Amino acid sequence: MSDPLARWEPTARDPFDLAKVGHLLRRAGHGAPLRTRRELVRAGLDAALAFVAPPPAEAAPVDLLLREAIAFADADRVRAYRVWLVLQGAHPLRERTSCFWHDHFATGNQKVQDPRAMALQLATFDRLGLGCFDDLLRAMCRDPALLRWLDNDLNTARQPNENFARELFELFTLGRGAYGEADVREAARCFTGWHVRDGVFHLQPHLHDGGPKRLFGTHDVRDGDDVVAAVVARPESARFLARRWLQWFVHPEPDDADVAALAAVYERSGRDIGATLRTLLQSRLFFAAAAWRAKIKSPAEFVIGTVRLLGARAAPTELAVAMASLGETWLEPPSVEGWHRERAWLSPAAWLLRSNFVADLLAGRRGKLRPSPATWFAGVDGPAQQARAAVLLLLDGELDRDGQQHLEAVARAQAGAPPDIAAAAVLHAATCLPEYQLC
Amino acid sequence: MLNEPSPPILDRRAFLQLCSALPFVQPRDLARLVPAGDDRVLLVLELVGGNDGLNTVIPVDDARYAAARPTLAAVRRGAHALGDGTALHPALGRLHRRVQDGQGAVLHGCGYPAPDRSHFRSRDIWHTAAPLLPRVDARTTGWLGRAAEQLAAATAGPPAVAVGGLEVPLLLRSERVAAPSVRRVEDFQWLSPATAAPIEAAAPVRRLVDGSGTRGGAVRDFVAATAQQAAALADQLTQALRGYRPRADHPATALGRDLQLAAQLTVAGFGTRLVHASLGGFDTHARQLATHAALLAQLDAALDAFLQDVAAHGAGDRLVVLVHSEFGRRVAENASQGTDHGAAAPVLVFGAVRGGVHGPVPDLQRLDDGDLVATTDFRCVYADLLQWLGVDAAAVLGGAFAPAGVAAPR
Repeated sequence: MSDPLARWEPTARDPFDLAKVGHLLRRAGHGAPLRTRRELVRAGLDAALAFVAPPPAEAAPVDLLLREAIAFADADRVRAYRVWLVLQGAHPLRERTSCFWHDHFATGNQKVQDPRAMALQLATFDRLGLGCFDDLLRAMCRDPALLRWLDNDLNTARQPNENFARELFELFTLGRGAYGEADVREAARCFTGWHVRDGVFHLQPHLHDGGPKRLFGTHDVRDGDDVVAAVVARPESARFLARRWLQWFVHPEPDDADVAALAAVYERSGRDIGATLRTLLQSRLFFAAAAWRAKIKSPAEFVIGTVRLLGARAAPTELAVAMASLGETWLEPPSVEGWHRERAWLSPAAWLLRSNFVADLLAGRRGKLRPSPATWFAGVDGPAQQARAAVLLLLDGELDRDGQQHLEAVARAQAGAPPDIAAAAVLHAATCLPEYQLC
Repeated sequence: MLNEPSPPILDRRAFLQLCSALPFVQPRDLARLVPAGDDRVLLVLELVGGNDGLNTVIPVDDARYAAARPTLAAVRRGAHALGDGTALHPALGRLHRRVQDGQGAVLHGCGYPAPDRSHFRSRDIWHTAAPLLPRVDARTTGWLGRAAEQLAAATAGPPAVAVGGLEVPLLLRSERVAAPSVRRVEDFQWLSPATAAPIEAAAPVRRLVDGSGTRGGAVRDFVAATAQQAAALADQLTQALRGYRPRADHPATALGRDLQLAAQLTVAGFGTRLVHASLGGFDTHARQLATHAALLAQLDAALDAFLQDVAAHGAGDRLVVLVHSEFGRRVAENASQGTDHGAAAPVLVFGAVRGGVHGPVPDLQRLDDGDLVATTDFRCVYADLLQWLGVDAAAVLGGAFAPAGVAAPR
C-alpha cells in the first residue's frame, strides 16, 4: 500500500501544470493572477511551495493599518485589515492558516466587545499558527478574547464555570466522545483564576483552585498549562486536528486512513503545524483526483479570490461587507463552532449574491478593474478564443466541451457590443459555471 | 440511511412523493392536484443558545424555584399568570394575551432522552429529530427537509425556506429538495454586468446555467442544481411577492425584518409551506436578567407583529408557529448570575392551536442531575405539527410518535 502522504512527483503524463498550480494556490492561499501562476508552472513544485510558504520575515512588523484599527478600537477596521492582508498575499499559507485558526478557535466580537483583543488574537494566529501546536494552545489559553468569549473570566475556585474547559476539549483539541464530564469539571478547576484585566491576561492566584485534580483518569494536573500538556499528547487530539486540516486543505470528508496517516506525520514532527501542512501540500493525497475541485469556495475564497484573479482594485472594507452578506463575517462567527462550511455556504440566494458581486465588480460598480475587462481579450479574436481566454484566466484552462460551447454562445451573443461590455459578459458567464464555485 | 420513507402504496400521496424526486421548479402544474386548504404554513422559530425555559415559563408558585435562583427569581415580579401555577416572563405580554385568547399554547417539559449539554449536539438532535444519529455528515437530512420532500411536488415555489441568514440550517437539509435562505426580496434578482438589470430568461448565460446539468461529481452537480434553482427562483419569487403590503408594524429589529419576510412568504400563496427563522444570544451563562429580558422582548414584539400581519391578510388559520430552543438551562443559577446548559424546557406554539397550557408543570423535586426531566418527547410535538400540515409524520420521524395535541384539529 502506498503512503498517501508521500511526495507527489510529476510525470510526463501528469505534469506540474497550470491546473496543479491553481489547485495549490486556491487551497494554500487565495489564488493568484495568471502571470504568477504561469511563472510557477515553469519554476516547478518546490518553487511553488516556497511561494505559498516563504521563510517567515525576521520580525513581522506591526502594520500601520493594524495599529490604526487598534487605536480606533473598530471591528470594521480590523476586518478590513485582515482582508487587506489576504489581498496582498505576501504569505499565502500563513494567511490561509490564520483563517483556519479563526474558524477553529472561533471567537466573536459581539460578546468580547474588544476589537483590540480580537486583532491581537488574529495576530497570534499569524505568529504561532504554523509553529508547534503546544505553543499555540498555551497562547490561546491566555488569549483575552477567547477567555472572555468563553466566560473564563468568571471561572473561580468557589464558582467554577465550565464553558472554556468544555470547548477546549470538544472544539479545540479532542472532539466529542474523547473525554468525560468529569474531565470537563477537573479542567475547569485548572483554569480558575485565569482571567482578563484591562484587556490583558491576568492570573488571579487567590481565585485559583489549588486542590488536586485528575484528567483522563491518569494525569495529575494543577493548572491550565498542565491541561494543555496532557491534552496535546492524546492520540485523539492528533487525529482531531488531522481531520480538520484534511477537511480544510484537501477534502471535506477525509478517509479515516488518511486522517491516521496525517496524525502520524503531525506526531512525528513534534506537533509542528507548519511541517505537517507542508508535507500535506506536496503529497499524492493533495494532488489526487479526489481532491480536485472537491470543496465549495467560502465567501472569502470567492470574493478575495475573484478580486485577485481579475486583478481588480477594491476597498478592503467593501470586500469585507460583500463577504458578510454572503455569510462570512470575520470576527463574528455564527457560534463557537465556527462557520458551517461547504454546502452550507451555497444556497440559491447565496449563489445569486455571489454572481451579482462578480457582475458589479466587472462593471466597476464595486471597486475598479485594472486592467479593464477588455484588456484580457486584447489580441483574442472570435467567440471560441474569447471563451478559452476566460477559462484560462478563471479556471486554469480546465473546462469540458459543453461548458466551452455555452461560453462561446455567450461570447457570440456579444458580437458588436463595446469591448469592455462584451468581455465583462463572457467573464461573468465563466464565473456562473459550477466549476468556478469550487475550490 | 436515515428515515427512508416506507415503500409506497400507489395512492395520491405516494404519487406526490414519487414526483418529489424531481426538482421543485419542474412540477408547477401539479399544484392543481392539491386540494384547497392545503396551503398550511409552519414557521419554526428557533431560540439559539439554549433559552432558559424556567425563566420563560416561570413556576411562580414553587418555593424550590425561588430557592434555586436567588437573583434570577426576580422575574416573577410582573410575570403573566397562566393559571396552572406558572407565568410567562414579564417581557412576553403580547404573547401572553394570545395564549389567553386561545391563539397560543404553552407545552411544558419538552426534550429528548439522555439529554446532551453540547449546543451543537443538542441542536443537531432537534434539527434531525434523530437523537441516536452518531454523527452529522454531508448527507444528513433535517426533519423539515424530509417534510419538504413530501410537499415538494405540490408547490410551485420552494416548499421550505430559511429566512434571515445565508446558511441553510440542518433542519431544512434534504437529499432531494433545496431550501433557499432568503434575507430581502431584492436579493432575488440576478443581475447582468452591463446593465445591473435582471438577466432575461432567454439570455445565453441563463442557458449556460441551465445546461450545466449533471456531468461531474456530487459537489459539482450540487452547485449546478443550486445555480439553476437560483435563476428560476429569481424569476418566481419576485413575481409572487410583488403584491404584498405589510398590515402590521414589524419592529425594526433583525428578527422583525426576518419575520416580515416570513409573513410575505406566508401570504404570497407561492407555495412555501415550511419556514425557519432564528434568534440567537440565549447562551446566558452570566448576568442573565437584562440580556434575557431584552431577547424575550424582541421575540414578543416581532412574533406578535408577524401573527397580526398574517391574520390581517386572512391567512391566520393556516399558520402555526413553533418556538423552541436546543435545550433549557440548569435549574440552579450559577455564580455569575446566569445559568448553564440544561435539559428539558417548554415550547410555545401560536396560530391554529388548541390555546392554553399543555402538559404537567415541571417537577422541581424530581431532577436528573440538577436538570428538569422531559415529560413530552420533542418528536411528539413534531408529529403533531406534521399531521396538521398533512405530512406523513412517521415517514419524516422514522417511527410513530403520539401527537402532542397542541395543533388545532385538521
